[in-house]
Amino acid sequence: METNDLQNTWKNIGIELNSKTTDELNQLLTSKTRKTINKFLFIIGLDIVVCVGLIIFLILTALNRQSDLIYQVNNSILGLITVISLIASLYSWNKLQNNRYNLSLKDWLEQRIKLLSKWLLGKYSKSYIVVIPILMALIILSIHVYYEYKPFVEVMKNEESIYGLIAGFTIGLFVSFFTVNKIRKYQLKNLEFLNELYGRLCNLG
Amino acid sequence: MQSLKEEFLEILTNYQGILHKVNLIYFRNKTDREDNFQEIMYQLWKSFPGLQNRNSIGSWIYAVSINTSISRLKKESRIEYREKLPESIDKFDLIEELSFNENFRMLLQAIYNLNEIDKSIMLLYLEEKSYDEIAEILGISKSNVGVRINRAKELLKQNLKHLNNGN
Repeated sequence: METNDLQNTWKNIGIELNSKTTDELNQLLTSKTRKTINKFLFIIGLDIVVCVGLIIFLILTALNRQSDLIYQVNNSILGLITVISLIASLYSWNKLQNNRYNLSLKDWLEQRIKLLSKWLLGKYSKSYIVVIPILMALIILSIHVYYEYKPFVEVMKNEESIYGLIAGFTIGLFVSFFTVNKIRKYQLKNLEFLNELYGRLCNLG
Repeated sequence: MQSLKEEFLEILTNYQGILHKVNLIYFRNKTDREDNFQEIMYQLWKSFPGLQNRNSIGSWIYAVSINTSISRLKKESRIEYREKLPESIDKFDLIEELSFNENFRMLLQAIYNLNEIDKSIMLLYLEEKSYDEIAEILGISKSNVGVRINRAKELLKQNLKHLNNGN
């Protein structure tokens, strides 16, 4: 087949494609919209469950340990960081999902590259390295101290407790970093792909 | 008076061929094509209220369809860069289900072996879009469009030769 026949060959496709009726298209659109809304509601719901669960835990522990000031401070900081982290993650997720496809290919690629670069390589992109260990330490301390039924200072003096805390902290840290790194790696691969496409689109060489 | 959804569905019914064709060049598998068809529809519906120039509906549909398809490829890691010819080009493996004639199958197979950007350029060329329209959809200059089309055609020609020799 010669290249000048290409357009003629391509024209034949018109009669072969399986067109859908307006009703079928309407059904497909309704089903897709419903699925997308359900996914959104699931994530929001999960976020609410985590937030409410944490707040209930913090209130209960605060009521049971009113005299333990250090424990109260630990839990307050934990609550604050978790709520801020959840809001930040929801905001990032929403920004990533809000994909504007109605742009030219070049503009769309630029927009996605800018967004992903800011998220993965920007000023605060490495803040998780500090936030995760702090959050992990506070969570482990909060749970461990609570179930030891002793004041915070007493628990910290106990050698066995310290070993338990270190082990829990290490495992928690490993799992958290493993998960975050996996997500980052996937998104970095996406960014690389988009950069490569952008290069292909803009470079004539 | 026609509601926004009715107006959208009417446009979609008339222009759905674009969605099918974009799907066809990016996805070999029927399930992927059906999933992507729904995703493009949804993205078109989302951006429809903001569509200002109703005279360039075709360009808008092409742009959303191409961007959504590339995004889906990215998500599912089906990326295959093919600037050079592969050692062996797969035969009509996953397009058997479609009842196209031999020439069309060969053309489609040759398009599959182009990279993602050249696929979209070739599609717009095959659809006989003007350089202005292609430049608008892809966001590149008109002069750039000409160069890109020639290069993509050259690659397509090589792919076709390779396929013909294999027969």
